[in-house]
Amino acid sequence: MSSADDEVSRQALTLATELNEPIGAIAIAGDYAPAAWARSIAEEVQRQAPSAVLAPGTDRGNEVLAHLAAMLEAPMAANCVSIALGDPATVTRIRWGGSLLEDARVHGSPLLATVAPHAVTAQPADLEVTRLTPSEDGAVTVAEHIPTTSSGVSLADADVVVSGGRGVGSAEGFAVIEELAALLGGAVGCSRAVTSAGWRPHTDQVGQTGTKISPEIYIACGISGATQHLAGCKGAKKLLAINPDAEASIYASADYAVIGDLHEVVPAISAEIRKARGA
Amino acid sequence: MNILVCVKRVPLTGGKIVLTEDARAISTRHLGFTVSPHEECGAEEAVRLVEQHGGSSTVLTLGPPEAEEQLRDMMAIGLDRAVHLVTAAEEWDPQATAAAIVDAIRAEPEPYDLLLFGNESADAGNYQVAIRVAHALQLPCVTGVKGLAVHDGQVRCEQEVQDGRDAYDVPLPAVVTVKEGLNLPRYPSVPGRLRAKRKPVDTYTPVRRESRLEMVRLHLPPGSGKQVEVLGRGPEAAPAVVGVLRELGVV
Amino acid sequence: MLGAAVLVSAGLFARRVQTLTGVLRAAQPVSRAGNVPRRVRNEATVVLGQSKLLSRLGPGLAHAFIFWGFLVLLPTIVIAMIGVVDKTATLPWLGHQGWYALLVDVFAVLVLLGVLAALWIRKVQRPRRFEGSHLGEADLILALIATIATTLLLWHATRIALGLNEWPRAWSPVSYALSHLFGTGQATRVLERVFVWAHVLTILVFLAYLPRSKHLHIFIAAVNVWYGRTGPGGRLEPVDFEADDADIRFGSGSAADLTFKEVLDTFSCTECGRCQDACPAFATGKVLSPKLVIMGLRDQVLAQEQSTLVPDAVPAESVWDCVTCGACVEVCPVSIEHVDQIVDLRRHLVMVESSFPTEAEPMLRDIERASNPWGRAQSERAEWAAELGVRVLEPGDRAPEYLYWVGCASSFDERARRTAQSTATLLKAAGIDFAILGPREACTGDPARRMGNEYLFQAMAEQNVAVLNEAEVTKVIANCPHCFNTLANEYPDFGGRYEVIHHSELLAQLVRDGRLAPTQDGHAVTYHDSCYLARHNDVVEGPRELVAAVGRPVEMARSGKNTFCCGAGGAHMWMEERGGSINLERVNEAANTGADTLAVACPFCTVMLDDGVQSAGEKIRVVDVATLLAERIDDDAPARRGERVDDDAPVRRGERPA
Repeated sequence: MSSADDEVSRQALTLATELNEPIGAIAIAGDYAPAAWARSIAEEVQRQAPSAVLAPGTDRGNEVLAHLAAMLEAPMAANCVSIALGDPATVTRIRWGGSLLEDARVHGSPLLATVAPHAVTAQPADLEVTRLTPSEDGAVTVAEHIPTTSSGVSLADADVVVSGGRGVGSAEGFAVIEELAALLGGAVGCSRAVTSAGWRPHTDQVGQTGTKISPEIYIACGISGATQHLAGCKGAKKLLAINPDAEASIYASADYAVIGDLHEVVPAISAEIRKARGA
Repeated sequence: MNILVCVKRVPLTGGKIVLTEDARAISTRHLGFTVSPHEECGAEEAVRLVEQHGGSSTVLTLGPPEAEEQLRDMMAIGLDRAVHLVTAAEEWDPQATAAAIVDAIRAEPEPYDLLLFGNESADAGNYQVAIRVAHALQLPCVTGVKGLAVHDGQVRCEQEVQDGRDAYDVPLPAVVTVKEGLNLPRYPSVPGRLRAKRKPVDTYTPVRRESRLEMVRLHLPPGSGKQVEVLGRGPEAAPAVVGVLRELGVV
Repeated sequence: MLGAAVLVSAGLFARRVQTLTGVLRAAQPVSRAGNVPRRVRNEATVVLGQSKLLSRLGPGLAHAFIFWGFLVLLPTIVIAMIGVVDKTATLPWLGHQGWYALLVDVFAVLVLLGVLAALWIRKVQRPRRFEGSHLGEADLILALIATIATTLLLWHATRIALGLNEWPRAWSPVSYALSHLFGTGQATRVLERVFVWAHVLTILVFLAYLPRSKHLHIFIAAVNVWYGRTGPGGRLEPVDFEADDADIRFGSGSAADLTFKEVLDTFSCTECGRCQDACPAFATGKVLSPKLVIMGLRDQVLAQEQSTLVPDAVPAESVWDCVTCGACVEVCPVSIEHVDQIVDLRRHLVMVESSFPTEAEPMLRDIERASNPWGRAQSERAEWAAELGVRVLEPGDRAPEYLYWVGCASSFDERARRTAQSTATLLKAAGIDFAILGPREACTGDPARRMGNEYLFQAMAEQNVAVLNEAEVTKVIANCPHCFNTLANEYPDFGGRYEVIHHSELLAQLVRDGRLAPTQDGHAVTYHDSCYLARHNDVVEGPRELVAAVGRPVEMARSGKNTFCCGAGGAHMWMEERGGSINLERVNEAANTGADTLAVACPFCTVMLDDGVQSAGEKIRVVDVATLLAERIDDDAPARRGERVDDDAPVRRGERPA
């Protein structure tokens, strides 16, 4: 799977270690085939009879575990931030991309749960790993990988993301955002209102139903701070909000703020950066 | 082609989430509602596929009586008929939801070639209803699809992954979950809305299985404890901003 | 022979008229009955009195001379025809009146003067308003008119020379003077016949040409003025969605969809271009010209083809450039209603074809789903009032004397919010019993309606009327002119009848009554009239009283009902602007007055003009009259929320309360 999956897997492992139970880790080789992978895991579950099966709360982790749950006709709790084993087990899981938490009881054994990204900080772990090679006959599997043609920084991986919201006002208005992003070697993002207005493609959208980012710094310009947008940038280490509204709700999630119009502030920042570098 | 799209009625939460007194639901007083975003794209895709390949499309929801509004909205963009599994106000867990949807599909006169779901619902985000339905109906399933094309009884599905796209070729009938970005949902015409008012909605009372993922209560995440630092107003704040960026090592 | 000529001309005239009336009869119905006294008054002032034309004195007088001349000279057509047959006969009674002969002489000369002036304007001055008009056609018409007047005078001159006239020369000074050109012999006898025949034949040619040219307006204009709107300019006609699907008229998609009044509009257009001159979109280099819209529609109507109006008759950009300011309608001398036409084009594009600028889609979806075009949660709607102790009306509460309708802009936009805060503070200070609906106040639907999404508008109207009626609201203070217009003029169509007053008018009343006592500071303040207040609803004085109470008013040239739009109307608050900036144009005008404060009475104007000031780098301060008033009521007034008032520094936007 991908590096993001690996990172969240490590986080999942860390959470698992906090359960103070013996842990086995499974690594699966071969092309991604969710149902086939789940079947192998099911067989392993039969063999090892664990009290819980955890997986990373990524697209693929959720998918594989959902297949496992369907096969075992057992409940599955996705994107948990905390887990307590028991009869029933209790979990706290995220809703609304992280803006709301749910405490739930899970009636079934083993507990099937995925661990939400950024719920815990990954610690190094030294474990025995069982390697499985699922059989692929008849499985739904990747037929072709189409590498990305676009150059530039990928939104999901960027260390710096500069986003524009409604306040940008037009597609052309994004020029100042692009300029700042380029100066910082970052990616350009946008809010859902911007993609609905047709100013940027959906691939630039940061949010619960767009791309989830985890940069060192997220600069949100002219974005008011709807929960579905914030759900996409919860992974950001720092958030700088630039907004003319002193009461904007984004400030509740921001580390830094500049109160002003992005059309003036952003070019000023770019100019200041150039000055700092040129000088 | 005979296509089914499953949708869910979710509230539009705005900038803050407020809970009911018993903390078992979001307070939806003064909130608007919509079809969950991924599913809207699924509905649009169904309409396009029928426009391309002929056939018919059905929209289904498991939800309270008010969810009829979402069914009518989907029929306004071109879905031909609707199935409403009417529930009381309390939400159902994903296993029970999937089981009820499977019951409804089995009760339908014609089998479906393609069953479209959202990758996850905006509110509960359980990521599993479609996969459970696929297993119950013994159909292949691809999730997180952002590109879809049907030809010769097969569907090619594209997922976005880290360094590009992964494509799956799956024989129909199949279950596919889609993500927003698959397409741009059309804006319904008023004649479409008026026709939708008269399109058939089959209502059923679904059988509810016992809840095994049992929601106890909801609560807001702890405040970040962040105290936002105002770096300044207007362009004069630029030097302060660059100072921060320097500290973070990005300048 | 005369008879044959008359028959041919009349026949050609009649055939064309039949075609035109056929088109009119086939047009969609519209109810423009009622209010007869007002219609009669319009005929008297606009048609007979040429009031709209005379607002520009030069061209207005030129046309008035020609028009009044035409009226006065009408009987001379019959007199000339009688004269063709029998040179000694004339109209009974009128033909023998010396005073009429004098009138004829005078007006024939005035007509010629009018024509000369018109030619000078068109050929020498060449104003921009004629760009796109068919000038050749106009030249021909002017030539025909000049010929008619000239041949008339010359005919009279020859008759005088031949001794055929019957009254003293004092009654026909001009003709008499001309008569010196002619002798008494055979040549003059021949010329007398030549001139009378030329006169009559020119008239007959003109008659046949008339309904095939824009000169048709001489008959149609008076009819169009009769059918003109007598109610407030801001009200749009609702669509009846309850009718059978096949009978619902979703605006204008093809020529067959136009209403009777709309077809009449296209027949009335003289291509004078006053609307084009007044249009803020045209003035800032956009595609839209209201004149070209009407001309384009006219061509399609007459061609009677099954085509789509957009883009065949009118380009899509023209339809979307419009800010519905109504300046075109205000100046049109023949009562064409361009805004109604454009909105009808929008209705079809939006409701049937779902074809409209993409950037407006989030706004429409947000009004529908979130009940406001900002897409914010309604639960946050009353946050601006949090610390002001404003009563929020819950279901079942006692109705207040006034319901203060805040509007979405003042609820959610940081600049417009101050207006609501100032107004609420002032109302409390004056002891007014009022409440707001808070989260239960949904968008009035104005942006949806102006975009052409009548269906969404009606849904919002019905929802709001239900809330207001259930709360037993009788009087409404509207914060925003667009809300004001919709609540006062459009909600009655949906069962909502309230006494609606704009906040500036109520505040002016309170100042007049001494319940609020502001202090003067002598600052030069220029007031920008909002289109939806001044032009569409005649609210001009109230806000000016407030300005005069706190500062020294300085007027811009384009003020009152002649105001120049800020650019936000017609849902343009949410659409991108192609071409130059309407708001910049207006900001420059304001800055040129030398005032340091630009007062407004509308949240859209506040945002647009403040944006313009920032873009232009000007120092003028944009502020609502309510805030101006609040600042001059009491130095510790809560309205300023702890801000220091520094009269030398313009207050920055988005100022955070301390």
